[in-house]
Amino acid sequence: MMPFIDYKNVIPKTVIGLLVFLIVLIPVFTTNVATLSMLILSGIWAIAVMGFTLVLRTGQFSLGQAAFMAIGGYTSAIFTVKLGWPFWPSFFLAGVVSGIVALLVGMVVLRVGGIYFSIITLALSEIVRIIAQQWESVTRGTRGLITSMPDPISLGGFEINFFASTVPYFYLTLCLVALTALIFWRIGESRLGRSFAGIALNPVLAEHQGMYLMKYRVIAFTVAGVFTGLAGSLYAHSLTVITPYMLGLWQSIQIMIMSIVGGISSLAGGPIIGAILLYTFGTYLIRLEIYGIQQLLFGAVVVLVLLFLPKGTGLVDLWERFWRKVVWREEEYEPDTPDD
Amino acid sequence: MPCLELKNVTKHFGRLAALEGIDLRVEQGEILGIVGPNGSGKTTLINVISGYFRPTKGEIFFNDKKISGLRPDRIAARGILRTFQSNVLYEGATVIESMLISSYQQYKSNHWHSFFNTRTWKDENEKVVGRVIELVKLLDLLNDTFLPAEGLSHGYQRMLGISMAMIANPSVLLLDEPTTGMNHKEAMFVVDKIKKINEQGVTVILIEHNMKVLLDVATRVVVLSFGTKIAEGKPEEVMNQQEVIEAYLGTETF
Repeated sequence: MMPFIDYKNVIPKTVIGLLVFLIVLIPVFTTNVATLSMLILSGIWAIAVMGFTLVLRTGQFSLGQAAFMAIGGYTSAIFTVKLGWPFWPSFFLAGVVSGIVALLVGMVVLRVGGIYFSIITLALSEIVRIIAQQWESVTRGTRGLITSMPDPISLGGFEINFFASTVPYFYLTLCLVALTALIFWRIGESRLGRSFAGIALNPVLAEHQGMYLMKYRVIAFTVAGVFTGLAGSLYAHSLTVITPYMLGLWQSIQIMIMSIVGGISSLAGGPIIGAILLYTFGTYLIRLEIYGIQQLLFGAVVVLVLLFLPKGTGLVDLWERFWRKVVWREEEYEPDTPDD
Repeated sequence: MPCLELKNVTKHFGRLAALEGIDLRVEQGEILGIVGPNGSGKTTLINVISGYFRPTKGEIFFNDKKISGLRPDRIAARGILRTFQSNVLYEGATVIESMLISSYQQYKSNHWHSFFNTRTWKDENEKVVGRVIELVKLLDLLNDTFLPAEGLSHGYQRMLGISMAMIANPSVLLLDEPTTGMNHKEAMFVVDKIKKINEQGVTVILIEHNMKVLLDVATRVVVLSFGTKIAEGKPEEVMNQQEVIEAYLGTETF
């Protein structure tokens, strides 16, 4: 091995780089609608899970992330279907509206935080669903709204036609996932991420060291709201329909499970792994058509992860352990603390 | 020149008067000891100064500006830092991580610099990490930087608590029972560090039960009993006052 290259750092990252490269090239190998749709929806859930994990990073447990997907999805559906707006401004607005709701709710509820916050976000999931159901004049109630793909775009000679193939939508989703992952990863690595960790690990201590709790809790919750709203918009348009039953409490719980299984220590990688694995697993389970099987097995999976993996780790941490223990065969570092 | 002034500070919890009519002036650069039996209101006093509690009555001034009623993070931003009696730590973080989180106030640049990893951020970060290493060396934690903070022995955990308060560059440091639970050697080690910190210009207020420590390090001592101040003065003088001895001066160790 060349001694002057930090190969233990470079090799795993190169492998990830290759995987990302392959994912980007998937449409070259297959244009199968089912496969691409599976990936598109996994990506959409990955964004929502990243949002959940970001909020968790500040020590708050949100059971309302599906509500923000619903708000985003319905916003963009209402603007495109009822007001005849084009897709792109509606998509943008979905993020804005979700963000504003997150900001307003957060400013009130994050003051108490903790269990009360979790309960209110849980209620939020259901409240949004009920509003979607009852506000018939706007949302068409249980019948839902039928959305459509974005209109074709002409870019310097090329025409991107979303109706002709699933591939453009795949890349659209991929771009949003990559953007969200990049932003959230940078937040984690930055001073903002450190402050989040501080207020999560010990709010009283952090406050006494100059960190204003509300500021950081609200920032995380709002940023998560914006991106989850955008994901909701993509969700509504990819499935070409949005109804109140698609995004409620169970979906918020699914998001939480995807985050825990993927690994809460990671803001980008963990959520993506959790979302892809559990979404594909979930789709398979639905095909079995056994009532309640999805809830049952999702519950089992999260319990298994919590029991057998060390505290706070998920599947994404296994990647690091795999390299350390299996590939490099490193010894476990036993610190030798003198007991004074 | 008093830097910290308490005027008629009173704190009630329902019908319990934890503090009653406390008048106190803390001079810049001194080391003030606060003593009293358990339940006399010492920690409540620190809690009120640091902003954790709002005084029921009375006011607190820091450099002639009113600070009573401000949030703890606002008070910390003005340079008043504290440690906690039950040695509060960042659970799960290593020593170096705890120090980096605690160095929050050292950064003057915008969060965007850190997000985009700009030159400004890198330079500032290097300076702060340099200060962290200096402080970690000063407080003898250099061997343990990558260990989880919980893994440290009790004495070292307390030193970490003090370092975490110090990294924020305080002008006033409130120490809540810094030597409790330590043997004589450890306690003297902490005393030495407190003296060094004071030499750097930091005003220190410490709650202490250990008289030897106070005689060694405090320039002045205030005695509380049932929430009121019953004596004030040089440690040797106060120790011999009748009221103080009667109020039970706390553990007379060694």
